[in-house]
Amino acid sequence: MKIFISGGCKNGKSYYAQKLAKAQAAGELYYVATMKSADSEDDERIERHQRERDGWGFTTVEQPADIENILHNCDSGGSFLFDSLTALLSNEMFPMDGDINVRAAEKVSSGLNRILDEVEDIVIVSDYIYSDAMIYDELTEQYRESLAALDREAAGKCDVVLEAAYANLIVHKGEEMFHGIYQKIL
Amino acid sequence: MILIFGGAYQGKLDYALDRFNLSEKDIFRCSDDNSDMPENKKIIYEIDKWILALVKTEPGTTDAVKQFIIKNKDAVVICNDISSGVVPIDPLLRKWRETVGRTLAALSRESDEVVRLFCGIPTMLK
Repeated sequence: MKIFISGGCKNGKSYYAQKLAKAQAAGELYYVATMKSADSEDDERIERHQRERDGWGFTTVEQPADIENILHNCDSGGSFLFDSLTALLSNEMFPMDGDINVRAAEKVSSGLNRILDEVEDIVIVSDYIYSDAMIYDELTEQYRESLAALDREAAGKCDVVLEAAYANLIVHKGEEMFHGIYQKIL
Repeated sequence: MILIFGGAYQGKLDYALDRFNLSEKDIFRCSDDNSDMPENKKIIYEIDKWILALVKTEPGTTDAVKQFIIKNKDAVVICNDISSGVVPIDPLLRKWRETVGRTLAALSRESDEVVRLFCGIPTMLK
């Protein structure tokens, strides 16, 4: 099944996403890594995530941009964990050369839709960055608006939509389907 | 009153327009540089912006919010939830954040129905 999970930082999104991807794996189990390291803090975060995945049986596919390319390198019948829309959009919108790609959201949306059309079992992770009392610059606001549009699109196409709330899960869509798989991860 | 809240860009206005079969002409769009009372429209959109306008110009907002509730008893009121970020350094934004929080609690008590939107999906809270 297709599962979308979001929520605030450190709420357990990645943990649940890993368990769910593993639970629905019959063959290949892929971790689609989207994060591009910018500094030592990122290196540490990436290493921590890699350590946490040790022994789970994930094949890691590095795809920080051009997300639809995973379809060339992976068996689309496998189980995918795609972590995260947030990092992918950021990489596409703000490439390292200092440019800004104003059509990044369109590109991510088209890649994501191709994947959702071809892959049956996938968990998509995003970040809920929409409830703070800040007035952002235009570019940041454009990024937030674009990510929210991608979230809504993915949530619309997924069977199950989850919100992680401090190690609890709120089921916004697909309660019945989710119940079946949740028994396996308890 | 019907209260719809949620984070930015979660589909609150689309939901209201769709559910109540309304259009652009039914919307009062609040602005953070206009502290005039939002009224006379079926949808009052982004009252958090109106509250920011109030906080910028007035020492107290309680009376204005009370008036708002009286004048908008039959409206669909839409508000961005701004309660879950880092405490802002700017004292004005801190006051804004707290006032929006208190206002949402007051509006929730007055509302017949309260809906939260998450990624375009509504949850009925009341």
